[in-house]
Amino acid sequence: MIKHIFKLIWNKKGANFLVLLEIFLAFLVLFAVLSFVFYNLDRLSNPLGFEIENRKYVLFGDLEEMDSLTRVQSLDLMKRSLEDLDLVEQVAFSNDVRPFGGSNYCHGNDDMGYHIEACYGVVDHNFIETNGMNIIAGRGFLEEDVTAAFEPIIPNKHFMDEFYPGQDMIDSIIQFQGEKQIIGVIEAYKYNGEFEESDNRALLLDRSEDDYVLTTAFLKLDPSADISFEEEISNTVQSVLKTSSFVIQDAPLLSKRANLETWIPMVALLSICAFLCINIALGLFGVLSYSISKRKGEVGLRRAIGASGSSIIQQFTMEIVLLASLAILAGILFAAQVPILDLIDVEDNIFYRGIIYAAIIILVVVTLCALYPSIQASRIHPATALHED
Amino acid sequence: MIELQNVNKVYRTKTIETTALNDINLSVPAGEFLSIMGPSGCGKSTLLNIIGLLDEPSNGSVNIAGTSVTSYNGKKIASFRNEKLGFIFQSFHLIPDLSVVDNVELPLLYRKVGSKQRRMMAEAALESVGLKNRMSHYPNQLSGGQKQRVAIARAIVGNPDIILADEPTGNLDSVMGNEVMDILTGLNSNNNTTIVMVTHDENMAKKTHKLMRLYDGAQVK
Repeated sequence: MIKHIFKLIWNKKGANFLVLLEIFLAFLVLFAVLSFVFYNLDRLSNPLGFEIENRKYVLFGDLEEMDSLTRVQSLDLMKRSLEDLDLVEQVAFSNDVRPFGGSNYCHGNDDMGYHIEACYGVVDHNFIETNGMNIIAGRGFLEEDVTAAFEPIIPNKHFMDEFYPGQDMIDSIIQFQGEKQIIGVIEAYKYNGEFEESDNRALLLDRSEDDYVLTTAFLKLDPSADISFEEEISNTVQSVLKTSSFVIQDAPLLSKRANLETWIPMVALLSICAFLCINIALGLFGVLSYSISKRKGEVGLRRAIGASGSSIIQQFTMEIVLLASLAILAGILFAAQVPILDLIDVEDNIFYRGIIYAAIIILVVVTLCALYPSIQASRIHPATALHED
Repeated sequence: MIELQNVNKVYRTKTIETTALNDINLSVPAGEFLSIMGPSGCGKSTLLNIIGLLDEPSNGSVNIAGTSVTSYNGKKIASFRNEKLGFIFQSFHLIPDLSVVDNVELPLLYRKVGSKQRRMMAEAALESVGLKNRMSHYPNQLSGGQKQRVAIARAIVGNPDIILADEPTGNLDSVMGNEVMDILTGLNSNNNTTIVMVTHDENMAKKTHKLMRLYDGAQVK
């Protein structure tokens, strides 16, 4: 029967070409969108690396203009003043590289013949605990690390897996902007948001002799702190800095905004795809219904010479499913070039999943669209069909 | 071979009831060539459809090849039609997208005959109607007479016991009509195939063994 249906499809290739082209193009669009969605969902499933609930960030504007002594004194006073507030549990500081801040400091150099490269943040010794970061090996920063012989560094797991796979590097000295001692490893630090691709990250400890400027305070608040508590924070910061040049940010809100930047295009593209599928479904439904109405005589004849109702359903459904399969096959030949030729620097399995799911969606849509007209065809009374033709 | 007893066919709509066949009794023994004549709308095709199991009687019994088919379900009827009956239509009903030989093979496809065997049987059927040299042509490349001969080949390819022909010469000129009629009479006399033919043509009817006339759905005695 399949050979017979292929013959019918081939002998009507002119009429079938546009349907084939429509399904082929729909497959490619669906493949592209699904690959994009899978890419982002994979990123989303990786750990963020820090807590955002009950966290607020205070960004200072004028600190860089202060001399270093005044700055250190101001930050020390700020820390104590903020810690004195009832609902503040912990306070930490970092440079401009902060969660959802959009800043990046990156560095690369050779270390024992390997090129290591990572983006890093400069933080104080409370940063890891205040932000609820997960240490998977070694330890976090301690106050005494500020005066340790070697500058401490805490890379993330991605950094260790890429440059020192399978090695216990705790307490080892590496070259990264000078000699640094690895004292611990954090699980992750996706400071650009949940949709950020896991990459090499490191935390360096602020030592007052360095040129880094700590410009952000991180507050871990008691869960009972509500929006009105921001006023107390604001008054405290203002009384220390004697200026209103600072911003208080809510971490969950920042995260939500950052996520929306990815969710919006993703939902928009998926909506376009859903619209595309509905269009294809309606188009195919119309084409099939028309085609079957034009082939009433054929249905009558097939029934007369021995086709049962189920044979008719099978034949008409198989015709469109085989046609769709040919279009999908052509689509796969194109789509598979993306991972095979490494056209985009993304894991191959994302594209293969895109291919599989696009094929399944198209086949399901096509089968559902074919079933109803095929069932209608099987219900055509053979005597009526033969008489009408 | 064909036994119809007190067969009635009534078409009902919300407002009107039309009697297409009224108390038809018919007995066609094996090997007989019966023609059915009557004016348009008298129920000839309806009667042929009931004999061919393409339609059901409103009441009465239908017995084909020794089997009472009234209680058969859809699948069983389809299989019965495939094995026991061959159909020839006035408008040929060839599938335009299939070649001549593929059209002839169709009944065997539903009988699940293997492709080689199918091709062999289709070639033999086409040879018997003198069209073996047109196997790979398509219906639109054939004359009316040739199309009807292809339809005959399709009807006989599965060696049915009964052939039902609905005005097989109705769309043909007299020469081609006679050619088709010769093939049918040959099938009847050589293969002992039972044939029931609806026709408007007295000359064609004269070539058959028996003539049944219908008028307003009833047999003319």
